[in-house]
Formats: sequence, C-alpha cells, structure tokens
Amino acid sequence: MSEEQGKPPRKEESAGLMKYSAENLVPFGPIHPALKEPEYFKLVLEGEKIVEVIPRIGYVHRGLEKAAESRPWVQNMYMFERTCGICSFVHSLTYGQAVEGLTIYEVPRRAKFIRTIVAELERIHSHLLWVGLMGHWAGFETLFMWVWRDREVVLDLVEAISGNRVHKSMNAFCGVRKDMPPGMEDRIVERMKFLADRANYYKQIIDTEETMLERTEGIGRISPDTAEALCAVGPMARYVGLRSDIRLNDPYAAYDEVPFDIVTRSEGDVHALLKLRLDEMIVSANIVSYAVQHLPDGPIRVKIPPIIPAGEHSSHSEAPRGEIFYYVKSSGGRTPERVKSRQPTMANLPTALEILKGQTIADVPVVLTAIDPCFGCMDRMSFLDIESSRQWTWSGEQLRQYGINHYFPGRAKKR
Amino acid sequence: MSEVLVQQIERLAAEHQAKCTQLRKGETTVEIDQTQVKGFVKRLVTETLARHLSTITGLDLGQNIGIIYHFWHEKNTIHVKTTVPKEKPTALSIVDIVPGAILYEMEIHDMFGVEFTGNPWMDRKLLLPDTWPEDLPPPLLKTVKPADIRKRLGLEVERK
Repeated sequence: MSEEQGKPPRKEESAGLMKYSAENLVPFGPIHPALKEPEYFKLVLEGEKIVEVIPRIGYVHRGLEKAAESRPWVQNMYMFERTCGICSFVHSLTYGQAVEGLTIYEVPRRAKFIRTIVAELERIHSHLLWVGLMGHWAGFETLFMWVWRDREVVLDLVEAISGNRVHKSMNAFCGVRKDMPPGMEDRIVERMKFLADRANYYKQIIDTEETMLERTEGIGRISPDTAEALCAVGPMARYVGLRSDIRLNDPYAAYDEVPFDIVTRSEGDVHALLKLRLDEMIVSANIVSYAVQHLPDGPIRVKIPPIIPAGEHSSHSEAPRGEIFYYVKSSGGRTPERVKSRQPTMANLPTALEILKGQTIADVPVVLTAIDPCFGCMDRMSFLDIESSRQWTWSGEQLRQYGINHYFPGRAKKR
Repeated sequence: MSEVLVQQIERLAAEHQAKCTQLRKGETTVEIDQTQVKGFVKRLVTETLARHLSTITGLDLGQNIGIIYHFWHEKNTIHVKTTVPKEKPTALSIVDIVPGAILYEMEIHDMFGVEFTGNPWMDRKLLLPDTWPEDLPPPLLKTVKPADIRKRLGLEVERK
C-alpha cells in the first residue's frame, strides 16, 4: 500500500461533507502477543478528529473471579497476584487485606513495613516502565533505553528481597512469607538515592527536550469535575488536581507511620502526567528509605486457620495505576463464596475515552499510553473509510511512525 | 468529618426507607429497595462528599441477584445493597448520575445478565466473547459450571 493511500482524509477535505459521509470507523486492536493486555477500541473519526470511542475489552479475561470460587482461600492469594505482570504485589496485598478483615487476627507491625517497602518498590518499577513506554511512543527512544536500564536497579532490589523479579509471592494472610534479608539497609538507601537523582534528571530532560514537549504539552486535557464524575483513580485523578490517594486518605499497611505527601498537579495534560509520575517516584524512594531505616523488630507473620469466618468485607489500596478494589464474601467454608476484583485500568477507561474525543489519530498512542493501560492494543489496526469503502491496515509501528511524522516530518526511521 | 458523613447517609437512608448499618468503623451498609436506588444515589453524590464510585459488585444470592454499589470518601466506604429477582433481572441505570458507572454496569450485564435500563451500551458486550451463545446463562451464576461452558463452546481438548 502506498503512503498516499495510507493517509486518512484531512480535516479540510472532509469539512464540507461533515457528519455522515466523512465519518470513518477505525477498529483499533486487539491482539499483540508481545504486549501486556489486549484491548480494542473502535474510533469514530471525522476527518482526522476522533468524535467517539467505543471500548471492547475482555480478550484476556481468564475468569479469575469464577475460578476463585472453587479454590482455597490461600491459593486465591497467589492466583490473584497473577492478574497483572507489573503491579502483582498490590493485588495479593488487597485481597489479603479484605480476607484479614474477616478474621480476628492482626498483621504484625514488621510485616506491615515490609509490605510498604515492596509495594513502593513496585510503584517505582511500574512508573519507570511507563516513562520508558511514553518515550517510545512519543519518538524519543533514548529515554526508553535509559529508563529501562534504571528499572533494572529496582528489579534487582525486588529480587534480592523476595527472590523473584515480577511475581513476588511475598504476601501471606496476616503477614509476609519472607523477612528482609540482613544487611540490605545501606544498599537500598543508596540505590533509592540514585533513583531519585535519576528521576530529577529525567524531569529536566522532559522539560527541555523538544520531542517530549511537542508531543505531550497541551495533549490530553480534561477538567477536574469531569474526571471526578467519571470516577478516575490514581495519577489520572491527581494530574488534574484531585487529592485522591488511598495511601493518604485511607491508610493501609504502614502508610500511617511513614511521613509523606502525595503529588498533585494542576496543568492537566500528558506532560503534567509525566512529571507527576516522576515526582511520585521520588516520594516512593523516600518512603522506602524511611521504612527500611525504621523497620521495627518482631514477628513477620501470624498463622491463621484455613477456614475464614462467614461475612463480607472489602478493601482497597493504591496500586501504581490507581485504586485497586477487592470485595470478598465468605460463607464460612474453605473456599470463598464470591470474590470481586476491580483493576485501576477499568476505572480509568471512561476517562481515557473522554480524553480521546477531540484528539487526532497522531495523538492516540500518546494519550492511550498516558492512562498507563495494560497496552496490547496498538498493533493490528485497520482503517475503514465508509465514504469510499477504502480499507487499509496499519501495524502499531506504522501508527507510531505516523504520529512521529505528523509532528516532526522526516524524523521517524524505519527499523 | 467522618461522623458528619455517616449522619448524612443515615438521614438519606431513612428518607428512602432503607436500612442503614455500621458493620465496622468506616464501613456503612445501606440496604435499599431496587426502585429507590437511583434517587438515593442521586442525593448521595449531590449532597454528600461520597462521590467516588469504586465499583459495582454482582452476587448470586440463589433466588435473587445482589447488586452492591461501593462508594468511597476518605476513610468511609458506603455499600449500597440492593437485589433484583433472577427471573426478571432489570435495574435502573445510574449512568446519568455517575457517568463512571457505565463499564461496571456492562460488566454485571455480561456476568449476571442484569439489564440496566438507561445504560446506552446495554446492547454491547464488554468482557464476554462476541461468539458467546445466546442460550448460555451468564457465567458467574452459581449454577454454571466452567466444565459445561468449555464443553458447550467446544473448548474441551482431548489429550493424547
């Protein structure tokens, strides 16, 4: 397919036709095996402008909630940890908290601190991953390389603490399974300082680098009222100025004992999101350093019987992407009656759809990355021009290059 | 702050003939008739600070399907509980009051078959595959066994 054919009609050309004849439908997604989570969006276009977005998710729905009903309570903890390959720890933490609420046992203080440390390391790792992807989709590959190199620093620490890089399997009911290895304190504090310095450096870069400024400034705006009405969570709520962070508003683990403040911004564009997540990394690094230096002595775990008393309880906590919510109902047996889990991407999807309205195709990669979705949707998209029944297909890489060429003609190189 | 919110909710619940209980500190449960939910939620999000809807949970309660709306403000979680009969599972949508509820309602529609009147996307699927047979019951009902679904969809692979 030649490049001329591959271009969607321009705004001016379609201006006279307006609504119906110039409206294009762009199926967007869903499968790419290398990426994390396939989603599918149907983009309704008017020329190059997006007028409506229809989501279709569920391509990797594995029926975990159904599966949980036939598995023992403990097994479910490690199954729900496998919901996500990035923020795995916080899933088992929240499920654990929901179940612990039904029992009479208390989590030991040392375990709460260890949970806080691992959860914050996970946040740093997730945010670094996101900043790197942002660089990739905006056409600033160097940032991607740098950031993902620094991400190894966190993953090494996580491995040293838990034995695994991604699925940490650290949690148990009323405690954690592994104690902190002895003699780690200095190393963690030193590495956290290194990461905070790097985050500050990246903040300087994105403020001065033309590529990032051009691609992110003024893109993805939404008003605080709309974000609140659409129930946005996590960074997607904080970048428009809402003070929504469960660590601060409804503390769990050891967050009520650690001094910290959340970051909010008021600009409300993707550039603000970048700076917000980098600032949050610095906050997280400080929390980890503090928690490691003030780690209390004592047991790390209380053993509880395998049968959980009847009742229902819910718990939520702040994952890197926002609020994670678990609801459990027990009928007093060895397996749960019902477990409900709600992930932050699900909560942020309506906000993302709202933001996409009015943007151009060139901004789709950046805006969709901005909500930090599990992001399988970029490859395999086909375009259909209803007016001329013309159909063409772009891969994710072609879309990325289209976006880069739109802003910086001639810069995107074929790999 | 928290006591004020709880008092407000208790007052609202009384006005809507709902039962309000405080299970633990910070967790308020409001049991309410299905026809009253929309009015209650409307006053909850306009008159109190509990504007954030965390999610909507569906439950199989045997004869009925339970629906729980989880609202959250700071240290308070408000669970608004209601039920719809299994024979005729329809409920009023709250999308026009809380726009963020749209996907949660679609999820319950997929998983429990509850029809939300007023939700513009009720004719679409969100989580279930497009090829999901019309005559198969919604998968999260207790009567549905995963093995039966695999069999029905032809996913049962014989191992050699």
